[in-house]
Amino acid sequence: MASSIILHVDDKANYFGLVLKTKSEGLLMARPEGVSSGQQASGSSGPGAKPILLREACDLCGGEVRCVKICPARCITVVD
Amino acid sequence: MYLRNNRVGIFDLSSNESSEQELGDETSWDRLSALYVVDKLASEHGTDSLVLGTGVLTSSFVPAACAGIVRGSPGKNGDPRVMPLLGFAGVELKLTGFDFIVLKGASESPGYVWIRDGIMEFVESEGMKSKDSWARTDKIRADQGDNKIQVLSNGPWGDSVNPASQLVTDYWGGEDKSGLGSDLGRKNLLAIAFRGMGELELSEPDGHLQDSMVLMAEHIQRLGKNEGLASYSKALEREDFKKLLHRNIACYGCPFPCRSFLKTSEPANEMKLVANEPGYLHYDIPALEKAFALGFDAMDATMALMKCARAGAEPVSVLSYAAELSARVNVSSVAEILSDPSNVSQGRAVGNFELSFDDRAQYRSCLGLGLCPRYWSKVGYDEDAVTPYGEAALGLSSHSK
Repeated sequence: MASSIILHVDDKANYFGLVLKTKSEGLLMARPEGVSSGQQASGSSGPGAKPILLREACDLCGGEVRCVKICPARCITVVD
Repeated sequence: MYLRNNRVGIFDLSSNESSEQELGDETSWDRLSALYVVDKLASEHGTDSLVLGTGVLTSSFVPAACAGIVRGSPGKNGDPRVMPLLGFAGVELKLTGFDFIVLKGASESPGYVWIRDGIMEFVESEGMKSKDSWARTDKIRADQGDNKIQVLSNGPWGDSVNPASQLVTDYWGGEDKSGLGSDLGRKNLLAIAFRGMGELELSEPDGHLQDSMVLMAEHIQRLGKNEGLASYSKALEREDFKKLLHRNIACYGCPFPCRSFLKTSEPANEMKLVANEPGYLHYDIPALEKAFALGFDAMDATMALMKCARAGAEPVSVLSYAAELSARVNVSSVAEILSDPSNVSQGRAVGNFELSFDDRAQYRSCLGLGLCPRYWSKVGYDEDAVTPYGEAALGLSSHSK
């Protein structure tokens, strides 16, 4: 379990998103405004913040994607 | 040892020295309870110690395994005062590298304890004392350069050792119904901050994942439609509450959110990051019920609870006092009371999450494992039925399901 997906949150504003570390595009950040990729801020609020930089990139768990299965909000899906 | 760090951090605020001890290798569920361990640590290090802890299942994949606890000094009846730590705070605490933290003694100078990566330090911060709980959280996150830091913040009410104070978790109130802010005030502690970036090992990761997925799927099927906090209180099934609702969010690992964010300063349907402080996250059912009973609408109830959280004051106590002063209670009268903590001399809250179960022993069992009492009272808590779902993670017995 590589832990290559994390929440991006600004809790005081109730603003949210997901950050995924990918092999091909680096960090992908999904927010209400849309998806952005490439170089991301590594400061306090950027998706480049620890700990995801230290993790392995997502390998889709070798085909059986565990984050999708255990996501309590059922908000993660895998698309081609 | 699986799903635990086997480390207790002890920080003596009087001498500014930290030390560690091993947690021990208990295997009986009773003695694994976080409530059992914090009592044991308090008797060892002094009953006036503030003890933070996590359950053995905290941060596991068992649904709603999000809870930690904070144990304060004993109350008037001699029982320890305890608050749950929910949201992501319990999990972050465990991932600091410590299962439990003991804060003993009192500091000469005001400041906060900062815990991460298996280390603890006291950060002096005289200037922070004049700030409210929200500004303290903002400052700690800015100074330490990480806005995911979890902050248990005191406010002016806790600083003044008021029994009606409330510790605030990352801006929001509703967990501390025991006046634990006063315990921080006695220790000259303005806040406790922690960030968890560690990892925990599981005995059988895939077995635990499979077990937890089965359990969560059963729960989701049984729970039905979620209405956020209104799923837990009929008094919140109001049109004005729905009108301000931005979205419902869940604590770590919970499939049935009970946290409802109401927007007060921008449209509820605004999803982009616009206002810095657009509203308030509600999960304090008794406080909202009290505000509505006094005639507040959802907007004013939200404003009143937000002001209480900033001041670090327990809202049921404040609203009850306001109602004694005048038949007409409004946001202004609440603000006036909050401006001087000496106005209120006793805490009147009887609980929030504590009221989830009729049976106190059930509440303690559930929280002691690291499970959210509100969620588990909803799905039906049975310790004997739940604990097998942790066995594959903990390696406590053969995985037989």
